[in-house]
Amino acid sequence: MNLDFSWLADPYYQYWLLRGLGTTILMSVLGLVLMMVIGIAGALIIHLRVPVLATWTTLFVEMFRNTPPLVQLFFLYFMLSEMGLTLTDPATGQRIPIFSGFTCAVLSLGLYNGALAIEIIRSGLLAVPSQTVEGARSLGYSRVQTFRYIELPIGLRLSMPAMTNNVVSLIKTSNQAALVAVADIMYTATQIMLENFRNLEVMIFVWVVYVALSSLAVVAMRYIDRLIRIPGYGAVA
Amino acid sequence: MTTTSTTKPLIEMRDVRKSFGTYDVLNGIALDVREGGVVCIIGPSGSGKSTILRCINGLIPVNSGTIRVGDFAVEAMKTDRELIALRHQVAMVFQQYNLFPHRTVMQNLTMAPIQVLKENPADVRERALKLLAKVRLTGKEDAYPSQLSGGQQQRVAIARALAMQPRVILFDEVTAALDPEMVSEVLNVIRDLAGEGMTCVLVTHEMRFAQEVADEVFFTDRGVIVERGPPKQLFQSPNDPRLKDFLDKVL
Repeated sequence: MNLDFSWLADPYYQYWLLRGLGTTILMSVLGLVLMMVIGIAGALIIHLRVPVLATWTTLFVEMFRNTPPLVQLFFLYFMLSEMGLTLTDPATGQRIPIFSGFTCAVLSLGLYNGALAIEIIRSGLLAVPSQTVEGARSLGYSRVQTFRYIELPIGLRLSMPAMTNNVVSLIKTSNQAALVAVADIMYTATQIMLENFRNLEVMIFVWVVYVALSSLAVVAMRYIDRLIRIPGYGAVA
Repeated sequence: MTTTSTTKPLIEMRDVRKSFGTYDVLNGIALDVREGGVVCIIGPSGSGKSTILRCINGLIPVNSGTIRVGDFAVEAMKTDRELIALRHQVAMVFQQYNLFPHRTVMQNLTMAPIQVLKENPADVRERALKLLAKVRLTGKEDAYPSQLSGGQQQRVAIARALAMQPRVILFDEVTAALDPEMVSEVLNVIRDLAGEGMTCVLVTHEMRFAQEVADEVFFTDRGVIVERGPPKQLFQSPNDPRLKDFLDKVL
């Protein structure tokens, strides 16, 4: 077998790949931020059993955890327009979708992995010893203060291993944005294959890029885990 | 703190009843603690001792009866805001210490006064340092709870309760989880507090300690106060057969 990676030296392809990589990273980072916001807010609402909202949040979790992220992305990208949710482009006067492909991809990542994050954070909160919570209550902490100062800081630490999986899953899932024409690394790679027919080499390259990205994320999460670890507490080695 | 032993008691429980589901834990508890008094509650496991303490600071809502602490009608308190004012006056120390594992010793002492009582951080820190010296833990400010022994953690918990500047401290079997050699270091701290006139309510299995520090001892069984009196009388000439039986087993 003759592998030829000389196309990687082409500045034109290099520019494409770098743009694609940048888009993948930006999508992932924005998705992660949205995921954490949804995760913490949702966990707070369900944990404190906020009336009405808690039911809706549970419904949200079931809807988004139990459907494929690709279906969610297609819903956001195609179905919202189909349902009449469009804007009018001031320049051309044409009706355009309210969300760009990029926005849809970020939203779908945030919603799907956010729904998982809610459950992950909740399991961490449930692992906080009841004595610790009672200690806070006895010192006059309100339920919200107990959540903010005691349960969340401890619960987030306890949920770090499961959250690391979720972060990696989000980065990998981001490649489905290529299907709504977002020029991420996957999309760029497909374009290059159409031009040079070096399918195997390009796909090996894509493979390596995702391994590198995911490994970086794992290393970063481990670093954070070490940074926030409670000395002498818990079974986490 | 001035002693007001002639006026009305600081804590007054009348006919307090509490059940968990169909299980009746408290069947009409009456109990008084005067300001500066040291009261010990003894009795067999499951007799409702810890529940009495948790009713006093509103951790557990009661079914009926009245609980007055200072000017607070505890049984009527519902909202967090009402309970904060109460817990500023009534601190609690637990069997399992219940410290905040993710915060240092110093932060454990200063968190609630700063975050709940909104006190000036510099003042609170100064007070916390004095309290750590008082419980003989100077130098452990930056340690985390799980880096300390059980006895040290319990002394941190006592200092944390004191940092709230309460009028009364509830002690819930605070030496029950400790290794025997650590019991005395914790009891010494409580003895000091009692000597300084801090109002203390202790649920304890340390009968000798109860005999030594208490002004009054309450014996509970099956959710009622079976017998009460000065420690000498209660331990040396018990009246109730259940108390006699209990003392035979534990002494």
